[in-house]
Amino acid sequence: MRNAVRLVDVLDRMEAGPIIEEEDFDMRLVPETMAELQAKYDISIPPDAPFVPDDDALADRLFEAGLEMAEAIGVLCTDTGRRMLWTRSEILDAIGIAPDHLTVGAFPDAHTEYKRLPEDTRRITIKGGPVGTPSPEHLYVAIQQSYAQEPLVDLMIDGSLETVYGREGRSHSPWEVLLSWHEMEMVLTAVQRAGRPGLGIGCTENSVSEIGELTVTAADRLGPHHWHHVAMISEFKTNYALMTKVAHIHKTGSILHSFYNTIYGGTAGGREGMAIAIVGGCILMQMAYMTTTHSVSPTHPFYGNTTSPDILRAIAPAQQALSRNTHLLNDVVITPVGGPGTKTLLYEVAAQSLLAVSSGAAALIGPRSAAGTEPGHVSGLEARFMAEVAHAAAGMSRAEANRLVAEMVARYKADLDQRPVGKRFDEVYDVVRVQPTEEWLGIYEEVKSELRELGLNLDSAAAHDCVGRSTTV
Amino acid sequence: MPDEKREEALRKELDQVLAAGDTEKGTQIARQALESGLTPTEFFVGIIQPLLYDVGKRFERLEIFLPDLMKAAKVIQTMQREVLEPAILAESGEGSELGTVVIGTCQGDIHDIGKNMVALMLQVNGFRVIDLGTDVSPQNFIDAARKEEADIIGMSSLLTPSMPYMGDLIKRLEGLGLREQYKVIVGGAPVTEAYAERIGADAYGADAVHAVQMCRQLIGLEG
Ligand code: B12
Repeated sequence: MRNAVRLVDVLDRMEAGPIIEEEDFDMRLVPETMAELQAKYDISIPPDAPFVPDDDALADRLFEAGLEMAEAIGVLCTDTGRRMLWTRSEILDAIGIAPDHLTVGAFPDAHTEYKRLPEDTRRITIKGGPVGTPSPEHLYVAIQQSYAQEPLVDLMIDGSLETVYGREGRSHSPWEVLLSWHEMEMVLTAVQRAGRPGLGIGCTENSVSEIGELTVTAADRLGPHHWHHVAMISEFKTNYALMTKVAHIHKTGSILHSFYNTIYGGTAGGREGMAIAIVGGCILMQMAYMTTTHSVSPTHPFYGNTTSPDILRAIAPAQQALSRNTHLLNDVVITPVGGPGTKTLLYEVAAQSLLAVSSGAAALIGPRSAAGTEPGHVSGLEARFMAEVAHAAAGMSRAEANRLVAEMVARYKADLDQRPVGKRFDEVYDVVRVQPTEEWLGIYEEVKSELRELGLNLDSAAAHDCVGRSTTV
Repeated sequence: MPDEKREEALRKELDQVLAAGDTEKGTQIARQALESGLTPTEFFVGIIQPLLYDVGKRFERLEIFLPDLMKAAKVIQTMQREVLEPAILAESGEGSELGTVVIGTCQGDIHDIGKNMVALMLQVNGFRVIDLGTDVSPQNFIDAARKEEADIIGMSSLLTPSMPYMGDLIKRLEGLGLREQYKVIVGGAPVTEAYAERIGADAYGADAVHAVQMCRQLIGLEG
């Protein structure tokens, strides 16, 4: 929950908290706290642990560890060199009054995201889009439309632009103004073309610094009902530019979505450290940014994905920890190594969707195909697939989800270090009619058949658009 | 052979010291090794480098994590600074550092995890590294390179709109008549070898190990 008093209080802490050297924060405070809490709360995730554990006690210990981590570490503002700190009771108060549902977008396309529990029968919210992946300018509208027109996509998230008016853009410069305006002009065209003018948009992806966000919202180009992004720097850091976005988004009464990408093998550590960091990180984003929705994208340091077995083993218990112990709206970003036109992509997306849905995530974001780094290697069909699998998994037990995730992981594990980036959008879609090619549809149907054979009911009513969807509590 | 055995025992002991990040013990061992007759180069090439290689491999397999790598690096740096460097200086009157690299993440970009890994690997492999942090403008890179009398400027970019600053820096060096003074190496997830070539960089590094190889080549050593 945000208000002006809290905003000023956060900014005060940013100027008055204890001073620390960044290196000491990164290399001593974070790893030492993680190791301590891992031992204190007996957090163990062995390399052969289930992908989707069914262990409520572990989830609850993880929550306690994450809570204590948030209190012990706080958030370092690198511009003031100070840590913003909160006491346990301040944290519990703040997460207690955070909203458990949120309506995004405008009439007639507004969508409400709800808090979910592990094994919840409620449908998860689908936030489809390329999540910052750069795309060639001439394909940008068609790419965004390919997501916006998918009926199962509840909210959209933008990609970024390779060029602007054919020029190279430059971050933190006048070019960022043009890039960010261009993004808005084009995504608003895309949602209009898709016949969903009020679709809630996740933005501003081209706002690398604060400049882009300030310019598009100030000009009313991008209304407060869209979900505006602010990153937290891994691990647990922020700066004036990001806090400027926070202040601006709050003063304009806009929805604030924050995200952060803990790095596997980074200062937070391995599976256990990542799991604690996901829980503590979400709590800290709530404290420092007063966000309404947040996501963590634990990233592999060499492949750039979120779908490696060790990372999945951290995400599931951490989501369960948050979802059992808070009503925060936690989203899961899916970043596969596979790109459009590959089965790898679909296996990875299926695995992480099943895992997130059964672990109580509120929304799925993505997929950020081909690790988000291959220009234009994204398409709306993978978001449709993500939604279909996710809705078929509503109400699924964690044990059943674990069985299916293991099947999927076995099918893609060997590809993780191969960079199977697949094809660019214009090779898997007819870019004028904005429809997938027969080839890409065929691959998609094949993987769906494999999932059906494994016992996933992709044809149930819940998997179809609108049926069984509730928009009231 | 007794010598080999002794070296093996030394490596084992040092391995534990690196894991524990015990800088004091590390310098003590280095001192003893030199006293017992090893030259600084023999010690570094024969003992430290294989250990370093091993630590790097373990990180690649994620058996150890970034803080472990940092701990090992701290021990090695302290050894170099306090024992090896003075010994080499006393022997030959010249320093042992391979060269100076000024490194940073380009303007507007705050991604620093990969850049930090590169800086660390360069350091432990004998380069003097000046890390300018993130959001570094082309002029700031140049100012620092001049001040530090750098041999190499290393730029990291993770964002399409921060990549053009790499080319800008090279053009600015040309404009200032300074291009010949510095070698330029670039890297980061969206940067490719072809891009590096297009903007006229001297080298591209795909990862931290590759970055070390390329920097060695840039100063005229074997990769
Ligand atoms: C972690 C991360 C973040 C973290 C960064 C935390 C930190 N302390 O660095 C946070 C959450 C802050 C973040 C923010 C944003 N991010 Co980001 N992020 C990533 C992510 C997931 C991983 C990057 C990473 O650390 N990889 C691990 C390291 C080890 O790998 P690496 O950096 O590639 O480095 C290796 C090599 O490249 C090489 N190398 C690196 N540097 C150098 C330098 C030299 C000289 C040499 C030789 C070699 C070399 O060696 C390294 C070691 O092997 C990538 C996606 C991905 N899959 O890569 C997106 C990504 C880079 N981010 C992206 C975006 C868009 C953003 C935001 C703009 C989002 C937004 N709208 O707010 C902001 C920008 C903030 C800013 N001003 O910079 C996009 C960029 C798209 C593009 N091409 O423009 C990516 C690709 C993801 C995506 N599709 O959205 N992000």
